[in-house]
Amino acid sequence: MDWKRFGFIAIIIVVLFGGVVAIGQVQQRPLLIVTSMLATTIAVATPLTLGALSGVFCERAGVVNIGIEGMMLASAFFGWLAAVYMFHVFEYPTGVSITAGALFAVITGMLMALLHAVLSITFKVDQIIGGTVINILAVGLTGFLNRQMFFGKGSVFEGSIPNSPGVLRAIHIPITEILSPLCGANSPLCVENIAAINRVFDQKPIALSAILLVFISHYVLFNTRWGLRTRAVGEHPKAADTVGINVIKMRYANVLIGGALAGLAGAYFTIESVPSFEPLLTNGRGFISLAAMIFGNWTPIGAWAAALVFGASSALQINMQIFRAVIPPQLAFLQQSYIVGLVPYILTMIILTGIIGKTTPPAADGVPYDK
Amino acid sequence: MKKLNMMIALLVIASVVLAACTPAATEAPTQAPAPTEAPTEAPTAAPTEPPVVEPTAADCPKAEVFCVGLVTDVGKINDKSFNQSAWEGVLQSQTDGVADIVQYIETTDAKDYAKNIGTFGDAGFDVIVTVGFALGEATVAAAATYPDVNFIGVDQFQAAETDGVAGLNFPEDQAGFLVGALAASMSKSHKIGAVCGTDVVPPVWRFGEGYKAGAAYADGMNGTTTEVFVVYHSDVGFDKTFTDPEWGAQTATSMMDNGADAIFGCGGITGNGAITAAAQAGAYAIGVDTDQYLTLPEAAPRMLSSAMKLITPGVAELIAAAKDGSITYGNVFGDAGYAPYHDVAGEVPAEVSSMMETLNAGLLDGSVVTNVPPVKP
Repeated sequence: MDWKRFGFIAIIIVVLFGGVVAIGQVQQRPLLIVTSMLATTIAVATPLTLGALSGVFCERAGVVNIGIEGMMLASAFFGWLAAVYMFHVFEYPTGVSITAGALFAVITGMLMALLHAVLSITFKVDQIIGGTVINILAVGLTGFLNRQMFFGKGSVFEGSIPNSPGVLRAIHIPITEILSPLCGANSPLCVENIAAINRVFDQKPIALSAILLVFISHYVLFNTRWGLRTRAVGEHPKAADTVGINVIKMRYANVLIGGALAGLAGAYFTIESVPSFEPLLTNGRGFISLAAMIFGNWTPIGAWAAALVFGASSALQINMQIFRAVIPPQLAFLQQSYIVGLVPYILTMIILTGIIGKTTPPAADGVPYDK
Repeated sequence: MKKLNMMIALLVIASVVLAACTPAATEAPTQAPAPTEAPTEAPTAAPTEPPVVEPTAADCPKAEVFCVGLVTDVGKINDKSFNQSAWEGVLQSQTDGVADIVQYIETTDAKDYAKNIGTFGDAGFDVIVTVGFALGEATVAAAATYPDVNFIGVDQFQAAETDGVAGLNFPEDQAGFLVGALAASMSKSHKIGAVCGTDVVPPVWRFGEGYKAGAAYADGMNGTTTEVFVVYHSDVGFDKTFTDPEWGAQTATSMMDNGADAIFGCGGITGNGAITAAAQAGAYAIGVDTDQYLTLPEAAPRMLSSAMKLITPGVAELIAAAKDGSITYGNVFGDAGYAPYHDVAGEVPAEVSSMMETLNAGLLDGSVVTNVPPVKP
């Protein structure tokens, strides 16, 4: 384990949270600030985590994937489209429609990944170009179809955006039930505190599965035969081939896994967070995922920690502004929204200077395999 | 073999890129076999009545054919907000018999503003409507290139008067003021929030400040103290601060964690995310620019109102003025308003709705002022 890296990440997160608490405590109780920021951090980090995991699988197998952004965008669109069609045209119940939407998003991600795999593994196209193709394709396809499906001639929706079936419900983790007995009678503050703590655990299925997938991915990559082969193919494909590992098959499989993960990240936007599709709604999060992957040194847990840093800086940016009125005058510069908005970028630059140790990509990353 | 693979790969890429670019570049819903086929135009509500000698866009250079073109900001014509309301104003001028040909171009990249305006300028259009603050510079520049064209710059404050450019502005502070007063009067927790695009754009900042001023005004009338959270989006690139619904939703949720029970989403699609999240959590949601009850079905049941810029009549009036020659250049101001309560009308007490009517009338006749400066000091 790379303790220096994790220590550094922990310090950043504590500083970000502590700064907000120091300022906001005049107006809001610290516990509530921390739990609210934690909840925001986890939610914001969800698509970044899944995107970074997608990158880890692809690149560990030796395929550079800068098309994560496009895969997310396409999945967000087709997942949402499927949910809306299931709900309105085929009149399935809400729950079925939403679940089918999530499934379609994952399938869309895999199809986009298949295109990337065909281009970069079979045809040995420059992988950066292959990823760019995915990104351009996704923007054009979703923008065009979004209009055609709802406003085009012969659209079943006749130009009105239909009411979507909604979003996935939060999974109930019985924190309140477990902690309530600890509160004595007539202690409204204690009950309020438990409600605040519950807020952190009040997460939706994709956010929770993202955390689960981090540990599953870690186990698969570092504790199974599959993982060993994947890493061998990404480090030294010739050696792997010599001992009888099918390099092409391993790379295809891992790129498809990556596509499924990016698809789930896409589903987060339209199936879990906001029940509508807007062109370009991923807003560069696929690329931030890549930064998280690099910062995490191509490991699932490292990538997750990095995604949490980006989530925390987003929480800082939001909460600093919520507490704008109580920022002390000597820190007046923090009242400017663009100053707190700089935090993620400053962090990225600090991280990329290598202050916390060098990151090493897989040796055969981006190199097509020629027998 | 390798060479063959290379060739196949190139072909695949070429076809994929072409397939991807075609829709992206033209962005044209291929409705109705339009009479015109210019490459970047969108054959939208082009005249559909049985043509005898139907004028087409090719006739625009002629004096007797009055053509109106609209260039959107980065975003879609169906953005449920800004571009859409301006386009409806253009369509209204066609319905009113003012404009003969109306067309729009959707801007997909901020670099294309000048090019898209130029497409209409070269085609001999009489009026070009450019939508959004960001097109201000390109519009002023184009006015010099095309001296015969009347430009209507929606939401473009004119620091200096330019011949040929009428900047259609709205008192955003007044619209924000109205919904701020409403939110403060309706809030049970006496905490309200606003989730906005970047405050680098003065109209967005005026919405936020007006919202605060309105809440303070209502506090004075109701004898309450309301905390107002205003959060601007500034951690991504300028043009992306308006197209980030996920950020809007997270920000609204954070505000509700801190007790806010009415959320104003001001900032295009980012605001839409905030509105939807607020409505899902059962808080009051307040829209912006247009009556978003009509355009955000997911949030409709909890839509309290919307801070409205009356863009559609403003654009239609200016087009009519351009045709009869009475148009004035420089800054032209439209009106602000607030949308009806729709589904939550039953929750709005009579005294609040009468206060809102008084405030609206007071802002229109000038007896109520917001005290918000036009730009951030």
